[in-house]
Amino acid sequence: MKAMKKLVKYIKPYLLFAILAPLFMCIEVVMDLLQPTIMQKMIDTGIANQDNEYVIKFGLAMLLCAIIGLIGGIGCIVFSAKAAVNFATDIRHDVFKKTGRFSNQNIDSFGTGKLITITTNDITTVQQAVIMILRIFVRGPLLFIGSVVIVWFTARELFPILLVAIPVLIAFIYFFSVKSGKLFSQVQKAMDKVNTKLQETLAGIRVIKAFDRQNYEKDHFKKVNNLLTNRLMTAEQFVLTLMPIMMFVVNLGIIAGLWLGVIKVNEGTLQVGVILAFLNYLNIMMNGLISSSHVLMQIARSFPSAERIVHTLETKIDITEPVQPRTIYDLKGEVEFRKVNFSYSKNGNNVLQDISFKAKAGQTIGIIGSTGSGKSTLVKLIPRLYNPDSGEILIDGVNVKDIPLENLRNSIGFVPQKATLFSGTIEENLRFGKELASERELDQATESAAASEFIMRLEDKFSHSLLQGATNLSGGQKQRLSMARAFIRKPSILVLDDSTSAIDALSEGLVQQALREDYADSTVFIISSKISSIIDADQILVMNDGEIEASGRHDELLRKSEVYRKIVATQTGREVEFG
Amino acid sequence: MSKATSQPNPNMLARARGPRGFGGPVEKAKDWKGTIHRIWKQMEKQKMALVFSIIFVILSTLLGLAGPYLIGIIIDEYIIPKDITGTIKFLGILTAIYVATALFTWLQTFMMVRVSLETIRNLRQDLFNKLHTLSLKFFDKRTHGDLMSRVTNDIDTLNNALSQSVIQILSSILMISGVAIAMFSLNWVLAIVTLLVIPLMILTTKKIITYSSSYFIKRQRDLGELNGVIEESISGSEVIRLFGKEEKINEQFSDINERLRRSAMAADTVSGFLGPVNNFINNLGLGLVIAIGAVLAVHNLATVGIIGAFVLYSRQFFRPINQLSNLINMFQSAIAGAERVFEIMDETPDIVDKENAIVVDSLKGDVEFSHVTFGYEDGQPILKNVHFSVKAGEKVALVGPTGSGKTTIINLLSRFYDVTAGELKVDGRNIQDYQISSLRKKIGVVLQDTFLFSGTIMENIRYGCLEATEEEVINAAKMASAHQFIQHLPEAYLTQITSGGENLSQGQRQLLAIARAILADSDILILDEATSSIDTNTEIEIQKGINKLTEGRTSFMIAHRLKTIENADRILVIHQGEIIESGTHQELLKKKGFYFDMYDSQFKLQEI
Repeated sequence: MKAMKKLVKYIKPYLLFAILAPLFMCIEVVMDLLQPTIMQKMIDTGIANQDNEYVIKFGLAMLLCAIIGLIGGIGCIVFSAKAAVNFATDIRHDVFKKTGRFSNQNIDSFGTGKLITITTNDITTVQQAVIMILRIFVRGPLLFIGSVVIVWFTARELFPILLVAIPVLIAFIYFFSVKSGKLFSQVQKAMDKVNTKLQETLAGIRVIKAFDRQNYEKDHFKKVNNLLTNRLMTAEQFVLTLMPIMMFVVNLGIIAGLWLGVIKVNEGTLQVGVILAFLNYLNIMMNGLISSSHVLMQIARSFPSAERIVHTLETKIDITEPVQPRTIYDLKGEVEFRKVNFSYSKNGNNVLQDISFKAKAGQTIGIIGSTGSGKSTLVKLIPRLYNPDSGEILIDGVNVKDIPLENLRNSIGFVPQKATLFSGTIEENLRFGKELASERELDQATESAAASEFIMRLEDKFSHSLLQGATNLSGGQKQRLSMARAFIRKPSILVLDDSTSAIDALSEGLVQQALREDYADSTVFIISSKISSIIDADQILVMNDGEIEASGRHDELLRKSEVYRKIVATQTGREVEFG
Repeated sequence: MSKATSQPNPNMLARARGPRGFGGPVEKAKDWKGTIHRIWKQMEKQKMALVFSIIFVILSTLLGLAGPYLIGIIIDEYIIPKDITGTIKFLGILTAIYVATALFTWLQTFMMVRVSLETIRNLRQDLFNKLHTLSLKFFDKRTHGDLMSRVTNDIDTLNNALSQSVIQILSSILMISGVAIAMFSLNWVLAIVTLLVIPLMILTTKKIITYSSSYFIKRQRDLGELNGVIEESISGSEVIRLFGKEEKINEQFSDINERLRRSAMAADTVSGFLGPVNNFINNLGLGLVIAIGAVLAVHNLATVGIIGAFVLYSRQFFRPINQLSNLINMFQSAIAGAERVFEIMDETPDIVDKENAIVVDSLKGDVEFSHVTFGYEDGQPILKNVHFSVKAGEKVALVGPTGSGKTTIINLLSRFYDVTAGELKVDGRNIQDYQISSLRKKIGVVLQDTFLFSGTIMENIRYGCLEATEEEVINAAKMASAHQFIQHLPEAYLTQITSGGENLSQGQRQLLAIARAILADSDILILDEATSSIDTNTEIEIQKGINKLTEGRTSFMIAHRLKTIENADRILVIHQGEIIESGTHQELLKKKGFYFDMYDSQFKLQEI
């Protein structure tokens, strides 16, 4: 309910439509209520007296009513669709925009499957609820209230029956609405599970096939599918119980009316016609209530959806723009870590511990260490993908937290471990790095990343289309493009996170040469497990269990670091002796 | 309805980017009848429940008609004559009827929800199962979001339509026929006049439905496309952030979102017209009945009472008819969705078992590529006339520059794809003669892109062999040198990892993938860049494990670090889809060819 209130602001720009829709509906309802009266007159007065002029006059009136009613009805449809669809589209837009600003941690806390459900299903549910409110919610109560009033004026003797029936009906509707809201939030949870399973199947289809686990996956899916079906069954069967109960209560009202009626008729205090009228209005009343309760149910069903939407919109983004931004206009690329600690779980299990080092502008920093020693985490802190728990990271002497995010990230060319590319052409993917890159720049960046050769072999060259996840490229090709995308920025700071793991040695040599020659001014961070990639670095950081075990140049480290010596030995196949 | 005119372009994203995505020719509703027939076939599995709920519908409708009839009797024969005891007696019967009506109505919906949900459950499962029969070619062609949307959104829409509409359609039809009978028995002329409006109604309804269904299809399409963008941008969000492309993706999203705004608005508006338009036709019909009635009355062919009754009847008559068209309208989005679901169901799996496919118990491990040519797309061969054979127990390394076709060879060997020309033989028989599932069980693969599932570490390793005991899992992990880091996780082997395994480093994921393959205990082992993100220390450790594992088994290894493959029995050098050199490490070095250059360049760097 609260969540719904928070979404109300989205209807504001379309308030006119949202008001017009029910107003037009009122027109239709009034016309519909007028029809029987006009007809009654035509039959009772016109036909009975064979007064043709009267019949024609009222016939035309009826036609007019019908036309006005049509206008009312169509008006309501048009305006309600306008209000609801615009409302939902705007929400979807904001939700997506918000998730776009989510940090890594924010996304982890939701999960991809759930975020997708929120941006699609949940928003559609809310949209449907709004349409229902605007189209039917006016009609139901109007009919209900109208008939109660008419009973009060024309059949007051039987009014006490309503005093019992109405509270009972409303109590039932209330109970069912509340309970169904809860049941449907359970349904939604099961739905999320189905979605997650499905998504994993699509993403991991190769693994599933390779291990021939189709049957295992089918069984798994069967479980979540059954869970969803069972919960849906409970929820829907429960909700649909309301209808017969309401009908029964109203029918009891009819019986009570007849009973009370026969007694009063016997006493001579009531006309038979009044009983008939009462029965009719009871029916109209019930129709009004039923359609309102349907709408209520739909609204109740949309509460959990609305809640999730609001939750997404209100999630605090943990990486935000600085309060007092300090823009660095000519960023040189000096990077300094001062006693940086970091953990993902925030429960003391530090991934990085007491990291301090300084990289001068234009230097090349190699980072080496065993799997899970914190190499990737370290470089992810530079573009502020995460904030350190304690300590500071400075660029050109300014704390990264004080640099505007755009300024910061624009100065960094980052090649992540996983080469994520997007569906679109190769060129579009490269322009990710620099929107307005010239053709020359495109050529140069791909040349530096040793990607030109394979691109030129493609029929469409730079216009070659990539599928989602770039599944039509090999791992090495993806890595090359991912590098080229970063190179094209000519950034002050270049980060290569194990970006050549799937690239052959010849090409890697080319990349290294390019780095030396064309990116001499950039501060380059290279994470690699291969000594050969970092051997020339101005400074090598040897990482071990989240700490910098040793740092220095290659020959320096050979002298002073046991860990480093071991790595070198395993890779060159010979013992290195110094001393 | 007209038959399908053109098959939609499966590559949704190609349409997405073009500015012409909107405003193309209006898509016609496709095979309406066929789709409904297929839905019906799905429901047939619930025949008994369906029969029961139909019986309950008939009973509750009949009882529903009996109520007002009885009330008429009570008023005319007991209340007006002031017979209290008689009234009370009949009120007792009426109560019984009402109790029964409520009960049957409840039972009928209760059953029908069951029928519908069971149908949907089966459909969802069938679709999921179907996806597993399709080859990678299929998945290469489609975005995940589009497929997701078919299994979730489209099926949900269908569920809503089934659980609510089917019963209502039935009871509407019952009501219509009941009233029609009553009308004809009262006055056949007026009855025909009343019915005259029906063709007009059907015509407009049909028009509106045809018109709106094209919008519904468009809306569902846009929604599917939007899902694709949403998924891609959420899973690639890190890169988007790094390159500050939030705005650009927003624009792309907004583009489709705006398109959806229009198509959703059109779909909701046009379909909504049905209600007021039919209401209008109703009112016209009523006017006609009264006008003709008046004429008849003049000629003493009808009484005022009969006209009054017809007015009431025609209300009762048109309400279910209106409802019927509303229900059909609701079916629109469902049919559009179901069509998309069946589109997947109709995909013919292109890699299937032959008749009498051989079930593999164990493989010796002879592999022969005989003049194999293959391309993912027609006319673009990745492998050209690849020819080599491997004896059982041999350790073969594949090396070559990026994109030369190494992974493709692996893909063929796992039978993810079938060769375009030539023949691939395992143990002397064409690979296509074997039963795929039993073949893959005997071929263990560690793929370049390690994918892990959400669940515990234990479950993920056990994926290699579902029957493995805890001890066996731990042993496999030890062999893969994964035990060390797993132990240090908060809950060791029971640590939950998220979908895609994002909370582990690339190297850790590779270790788990290796452990998973070790556990699978296959006869042929394939390692595609399995250790590329693992530090050399750990790699040497794993290598020991792998050596133990590959002893006596045929194994294929792809690695860029030539160090890792030095001791292979044979090294195949692949360049631009062809094998250009082959031999042992020493032989190839002596040859001073391509391999020598590669090796040299890699190790020159270290000789400094």
